[in-house]
Amino acid sequence: MTSDGRAVELADRAWRTAEADEADAVVQVEESGFARFAGSEVHQPTLISDESITLRVVRDGKVGCAVTNRTDDEGLREMARRAAEAADSAPPDPGYAGLQPPAPVADVAGYDEDTAGLTPEEQAALAAEAIEAAPEYGLYGYFTSGLTETAIASSTGHSVSQRMTDASVLAIAASDDASGYAEATSWKAGDLDPAACGREAAEKAARTRGATEIEAGTHAAILEPYAFSELLWYFGFSSLSALSCLEGRSYLSGRLGEKLFHESFTLIDDGLDPEGMPKAFDLEGVPKQRVTLVEQGVAKDVVWDRRTAKRAGEGHESTGHALTAPAQGFGPLPLNLSVAGGDVPTPKLPERVGDGIYVTRLHYLGVVDPREGIITGMTRDGTFKIEGGKVTKPLVNLRFTTSFPKLVEGILGLSEEVVLVNRSDYYDERYPFGTRVPAIATSAFTIVGTGSGPGL
Amino acid sequence: MRELCGEAIDAATAGGAGYADARAVTRRAQNVATKNGEVESVSDGETEGVGVRVLVNGAWGFACDRRLTEEGARSAAERAVAFARASASRAGRRQVELAPAPAEKGEYRTPAKRDPMDVPLSEKVDLCLRAEGAMRHEDVKITEATVRSQREERAFQSSEGADVYQEFVECGGGIDALAIRDGKVQIRSYPSAHGGSSSQSGWEYIDGLDLPAHAPRVAEEAAALLRADPCPSGVTTVVLDSEQMVLQVHESVGHPTELDRVYGTEAAYAGTSFLRPGDLGSLRYGSDLMNITADSTTEGGLGTFAYDDEGVPAGRQPVVESGVLNGFLSSRETARLIGAGNGGSMRADGWSRMPLVRMTNLHLEPGAGSFDDLLADVDDGIFMCTNKSWSIDDKRLNFQFGTQIAWEIKNGKLGRMLRDATYMGTTPIFWSGLDAVAGPDEWELYGLTNCGKGQPGQHAHVSHGTSPGRFRNVQVGVRDV
Repeated sequence: MTSDGRAVELADRAWRTAEADEADAVVQVEESGFARFAGSEVHQPTLISDESITLRVVRDGKVGCAVTNRTDDEGLREMARRAAEAADSAPPDPGYAGLQPPAPVADVAGYDEDTAGLTPEEQAALAAEAIEAAPEYGLYGYFTSGLTETAIASSTGHSVSQRMTDASVLAIAASDDASGYAEATSWKAGDLDPAACGREAAEKAARTRGATEIEAGTHAAILEPYAFSELLWYFGFSSLSALSCLEGRSYLSGRLGEKLFHESFTLIDDGLDPEGMPKAFDLEGVPKQRVTLVEQGVAKDVVWDRRTAKRAGEGHESTGHALTAPAQGFGPLPLNLSVAGGDVPTPKLPERVGDGIYVTRLHYLGVVDPREGIITGMTRDGTFKIEGGKVTKPLVNLRFTTSFPKLVEGILGLSEEVVLVNRSDYYDERYPFGTRVPAIATSAFTIVGTGSGPGL
Repeated sequence: MRELCGEAIDAATAGGAGYADARAVTRRAQNVATKNGEVESVSDGETEGVGVRVLVNGAWGFACDRRLTEEGARSAAERAVAFARASASRAGRRQVELAPAPAEKGEYRTPAKRDPMDVPLSEKVDLCLRAEGAMRHEDVKITEATVRSQREERAFQSSEGADVYQEFVECGGGIDALAIRDGKVQIRSYPSAHGGSSSQSGWEYIDGLDLPAHAPRVAEEAAALLRADPCPSGVTTVVLDSEQMVLQVHESVGHPTELDRVYGTEAAYAGTSFLRPGDLGSLRYGSDLMNITADSTTEGGLGTFAYDDEGVPAGRQPVVESGVLNGFLSSRETARLIGAGNGGSMRADGWSRMPLVRMTNLHLEPGAGSFDDLLADVDDGIFMCTNKSWSIDDKRLNFQFGTQIAWEIKNGKLGRMLRDATYMGTTPIFWSGLDAVAGPDEWELYGLTNCGKGQPGQHAHVSHGTSPGRFRNVQVGVRDV
């Protein structure tokens, strides 16, 4: 971790402005560039510079929050006034779990000076590397990199900060009748090879022409890490949070301790992993813990924040998965999911399937039934048939409505290789996160219909 | 704020921009959420900044700065020019050209009887707690209520001489009841799912929703769903209530008619469209009863303004007339490409995002008759209400939507309640099955605040007005098998 101390100083100034029994302030800083391209031209280049503060105050057991991006004294005073007014408008909050007391946080990776220093010209040039690697197609996607910093200070004396960098390249190579996808992400831009990403997308696209349909039904399938990551994320936010679990909305509600998945499935949330997008603490300053969620198919735990831990009572503590105070109604979230790799070399996975479907990525998922873990969506940019243990003909985009638990119960193999897949769509404040997953071969991926062919 | 826009434009043009526009924005938003009789969150946020968009050598660049100062405005402009210049350097690239638009000057303010930001937070908290209190029920384990309000001031100027200042206020709210028993979870919401409904209006909109009055019904329906039969599978007649119809219009008409998607510039995230520029005026989108209008002048619409974020005046335009595609949602750039109009649908999320082609207010025009008339011609079908889940493919062609509640229709009357209702279809085939739209008395306006698009992501606030509609030959009851 590295910081010039300015953000934590601002957080400290902010909470001290509050007239309150307790207060904490979260500062989020962003300097980012987005070279978004379409039709092989950068068309929406965006540079963002922002710095926001979220202040939470507690007055007579009543909690209120205010946010501003005005960092001068007047802006802070006004924020403190609005936070106090918010608190005073509410009855005491019996669920309030107190602020994080002083605690050391881990010294994590996740900051790279070269990435932080990328100029707009360099960001545009890295986008161009991807574009130029796929001359036979229009290329659609982006190169983005950013420097973010989160700093938290509070009346308990707790004070933490972390600077992070992140970089991602995403490429869809497409024509009217073909499309292929690739992406790569890291906290070090130097780890990325935009040209390789462009080539991978183009090579995939070239195999998608002449797509045919397939019968609805439950098929054996391979989901590349891009696809598996997205399905896992939707299952994660609907079922791996202590809040949804406590409220009985989660697939894991009442099922912790049971063997629910295939024994080869082990799932953790690990913000400290340098191979992911490391985070030292959550957005209420609680140190990140490595949480084993599923171990060899047995559901072990969910992720917690201070509020849900208090609600669950003795024996529970925050695992460091809180959002900022105004967003805590969503509950704690597992932003660093990681699935243990298997023992199958990626090229051998189709042999585990025999006959089935190969899926590159998914699109527009929706949770149909969170209690049963049923998720719907479409496949996109590279769907193929698997015949006789080999990936063969292209398929049109398929509508799936599938049970995530059944999909994972039916594991036929997991790839040895585990890939970090970006999960941020960059709404609101930039907060890089992703999942680390292998490719999965499963006996149970349910197709309910067919859609359009690949391509634009 | 206007002076800062001028400062930014001067800096951009001095730096070599052939075109520049600037938006200075301040936004303040209050949100109250209560759950199970306790306050979950009371927050009051503000954000401000300036965003500058430039064309340099025919290529776009955008940069922003949170500082509403001359230095912030100039810095954003200079960085936008630098990024545009870097983006323009690739040989042979298309030169962006804009459809001509008059340099508009004007002001706009949302008409409001009671400014939502003047309503004390304590009153908002009290309303949520009262609405929640009215949802108490043995089987309802989770009750939630939310209200939101927002004020945004937006100044816009361009190097062509446009000079616009607008002030918007919005408010909205909703309630949810989750019934849970024996591992089953069912939800009911009012007036709409996913955070309720919003309007660009004064607090009188919230008063009109009367959340507490609807709370007992919401709770009872959630509990009743626990004992309801599942929606059967098959092909049948479906009647959609206005609220689900809103989602149907939004996803299967609004997004595919955004001209940036048609030209592929949203391909990397939200997707493209099954429509092509040449389809304008000829593509059969649905039955003769399908009339869709884009209207950025609708009273109370979240997409209502006097000028969009390119300074183009608001207006009303047909998108689908008697089932035929007759309009796209466009920007000045895409209007120039297609050779029709001059845009009018460009909107940005705050000050830190580049404007994109977005929906404003998109309506299904009413037909004739009452809701009961819709049912009367159904021997066997399903009436579906209130969206629960949604998913649609990247071309906006294949969709699957689920609703919170449904009832079977037998011999023209509503029968037993059904749970877990879903339906799926292919956009133009589905809309071709539209054989009745209820009349103006059934037409309702809903406002949603969660429309996502763009990279980096942007939220848009849009409204849709619809009446209930009837569709024949619809696949229903799609589940995991």
